[in-house]
Amino acid sequence: MRGLKQSPWILHYDASSCNGCDIETLACLTPIFDVERLGVLNTGNPKHADIFLVTGAVNEQSKAVIQNLYRQLPEPKVVVAVGACASSGGIFRECYNIFGGVDIVVPVDVYVPGCAARPEAIIDGVVKGLAVMEEKHAILAAVRDGLDKIIYARAEKAGALPIHAIRKVAGQTEAVLHGDDNFPALQQTLEELQKEFDKKYFFKAEVNGKVIGSVSAWLDGETVRVDGLAVHPYFEGAGVAGRLLAECEAAFRGVKRFETFIGNKSERQLKVLEEAGYKNFKTEVFTPKITWIHLRKELK
Amino acid sequence: MSPWLRLIVYLVAAPVVGGVLSGWDRRVSARMQSRRGPPILQPFYDVLKLWQKQNLANHPSQNYYVLFFFLLVVFTGALFFAGSDLLLVIFALTTASIFFVLGAYKASSPYSFIGAERELIQIMAYEPMVLLTAIGMYMVTKTFYIGGIANHGGLLVLALPGVFLGFVFALEIKFRKSPFDLSSSHHAHQELVRGITTEFSGRTLALIEVAHWYETVFLLGWVYLFFASSPVLGVVMALGVYVFVVLVDNVFARLKWQAALGSAWAVTAVLGFGNIVVLSLQR
Repeated sequence: MRGLKQSPWILHYDASSCNGCDIETLACLTPIFDVERLGVLNTGNPKHADIFLVTGAVNEQSKAVIQNLYRQLPEPKVVVAVGACASSGGIFRECYNIFGGVDIVVPVDVYVPGCAARPEAIIDGVVKGLAVMEEKHAILAAVRDGLDKIIYARAEKAGALPIHAIRKVAGQTEAVLHGDDNFPALQQTLEELQKEFDKKYFFKAEVNGKVIGSVSAWLDGETVRVDGLAVHPYFEGAGVAGRLLAECEAAFRGVKRFETFIGNKSERQLKVLEEAGYKNFKTEVFTPKITWIHLRKELK
Repeated sequence: MSPWLRLIVYLVAAPVVGGVLSGWDRRVSARMQSRRGPPILQPFYDVLKLWQKQNLANHPSQNYYVLFFFLLVVFTGALFFAGSDLLLVIFALTTASIFFVLGAYKASSPYSFIGAERELIQIMAYEPMVLLTAIGMYMVTKTFYIGGIANHGGLLVLALPGVFLGFVFALEIKFRKSPFDLSSSHHAHQELVRGITTEFSGRTLALIEVAHWYETVFLLGWVYLFFASSPVLGVVMALGVYVFVVLVDNVFARLKWQAALGSAWAVTAVLGFGNIVVLSLQR
């Protein structure tokens, strides 16, 4: 469809470093380069933007800002790292306060080289980003059209990688909600997850071959312990989580008691679990910011 | 043309004309700043793009307010072009604006709040002048019905020069152009992020955009009403007023809300009310 490539609205953020690329980016708006002729608007609002243009290396203070802004951009979105610092940390790479390039915080689609990057190069990078955006839109559209074709199935050990990824994605959302990175899903390595496959049953929700949700469950005496319930944020509210829980119950037919736990600020998850018949029976402090809420469902 | 036919032409043609006017506005503004500017069809590309984007909302209900805003703006224009009661048109338009403000309040973000508050101030600023315009038109034509006003023999502007100038002033506020782009500026950065539209994205933002196109056509139609006895002059003047609004947008910086409100009411009192006093003395 037309339009997607003809109206890139840009959110521009300067993470740190010398501000040279920042100034060159703004130079793109001046009469000499006039990016508005390509439909480009410089908007200060992430919710209106399509392209997240970051200049400068990431430091302790800008890390959270970049993550926050990235999340506020509606899909399909593209991240363009402008200049040497944004691409790799540049000459500030070895500094004690610098993490490195933008790609260590959010996924970057286009890298624009230069120190400072020339306005022509920046415009070129944005145009390259448009092609990426169209590609992403096509993928999202295909997935969205497949919403009624979600397949729920047992996951095997060989398919641990996408499940690991979806747990990280969901874990990040939880971490933001609680303001604490200490979620088990975020700490877990792929090897650890693969080991869990020996003990636990894994279920996944899949659209067009892409995993959009997963859950694991294992029998502990008289109780089935359910954990790792994760749904891609894009599919929240589509009933995926409820359906995954039902899959667990179906797999452990005859078992009367199901237990799980969630963070105290995960209101969405709590709602889904309560709708599925789970009831809060105890709380447990995990870290100063995270309190686990333990939920139990008794079948008659 | 029968009212129904006019209505259908309005519903179909207004977004096209409004979109082209908006694209032309951006183009001319760019030329005034010695830039090349985007294509004339740029606003249509923008709306098409927004339509394909994810719709992020703090509260899903905020989008329903905008939907009502859109429907009411279309309804207002429909009433106008079908030749209905001018007072009804004014209050339908106010209701539409209020829905927009409510939507922004519902979005619960500080930027959106201040934008909504400033929008209310803007409504307060232009509303008296808009009402006086309707009263002035009644005093000359003895009817509030737009059909009757349009078929009045003489040029209304000759009897209502003050009201006309005051109305053009009110249009500056209604179009949210500098110096009155307090609640949401269409220019790059501002202190409010995007003011009243900050928290809307995707299709909702596209609806707001299309609603503005309808609004533009309807308001220029009102300018035409001042010259209705001479259609060619009417169209020329309506476009002329639009050019003037764009010019003012590019040469003025934004006013503080106190100055915006004060100047709007001063103009209303002197030009609008003065004109009406003169009319009533002539009788």
